[in-house]
Amino acid sequence: MTSALPDPSPFATKHASGMWEDKFGAIGPFKPGEGPRQDPLGDFPTGPAIGERLPDIVTPTHTGDTLDVHDDRGKRAAVIVFYRSAVW
Amino acid sequence: MSFPLLSDPDSEIIKRFGILNTLTDPDDHPWYGIPFPGTYVIDADGIIIEKFFESSFMLRPSADQLLRAALGKKVDLAAPTQPRHVEEVTYTVNFDGTVLNAGVVRDLVVELRVPEGYHLYGNPVPEGMVATSVEVDEQVGLVVEAAQLPATAPYTLAGTGETLQVFDGDVEIRVPIAHMSRPLTTNDEGAATLTITGTVRWQSCDADACQLPQRETFTLHVPAARHNTPGHWTSEGSNFKEHFSKMLARQTGQT
Repeated sequence: MTSALPDPSPFATKHASGMWEDKFGAIGPFKPGEGPRQDPLGDFPTGPAIGERLPDIVTPTHTGDTLDVHDDRGKRAAVIVFYRSAVW
Repeated sequence: MSFPLLSDPDSEIIKRFGILNTLTDPDDHPWYGIPFPGTYVIDADGIIIEKFFESSFMLRPSADQLLRAALGKKVDLAAPTQPRHVEEVTYTVNFDGTVLNAGVVRDLVVELRVPEGYHLYGNPVPEGMVATSVEVDEQVGLVVEAAQLPATAPYTLAGTGETLQVFDGDVEIRVPIAHMSRPLTTNDEGAATLTITGTVRWQSCDADACQLPQRETFTLHVPAARHNTPGHWTSEGSNFKEHFSKMLARQTGQT
């Protein structure tokens, strides 16, 4: 765990449920600012820039098929989402 | 499901994009390998035309933001303030959407209508003059991102030959906002509401002279929702507790 960061969540409070509530009012088992509940402070990498070609993505999908993002989208515009949890 | 879910079990694509979340220690958390979450919009040629990355992992761009980026779709504005006329400029403050769910980013939209022959200052602004700006007041739990102003056009003063950066015509300024329920209040009808206050500043000029700088405050009551998104961890029906039980079991090796 990174400990060198200043505490980014001065509003972190213990909730009645025993979990932690952050400054937004979101309640979860980890203390805001620690472990998986950390947000980057300041700049963080956001990958290729606007104006660049999206790097190739060729990978299996949930159906077991292989998808090539550039070849298989029928020359249409597309939205590619990188998410960190599909459960909430 | 109308879209494919892509698999990246070893975070190979995430690393190749350079967006591996480096705040998560590989030795400490079963979450290692997650990205800094974000969304790319590409055109028919595969060129990235817009991207959305939030420093708070709990926030997501709204469908309207994505559609506007991908298709140039102009969305209907739901609850504009009454247009106000200040000198020759007309301005409105809008919320881009019908409701602001917890965890979703949508835009506050300020429109300044500048009549022909007039312009507003952009940045850099001549000394003693006021640049066009929108400032949303802070509230605990309200997320306010940087205002997005349109591109300025160069304008050359006839007298001195000095070139200034100005706006003219219809000037649309967008300020992305989000909340995670805490700033909401309940209105008389029992509906959750986000009350946003702020200040719009500008100074208009024509070819001969400038008006006094304007400073207008606004109050906008945005329809909002507390629990309609699974992004809110206290949401009824969310399976986050089961999810965290599994992840904590992985962390401690009790699989």
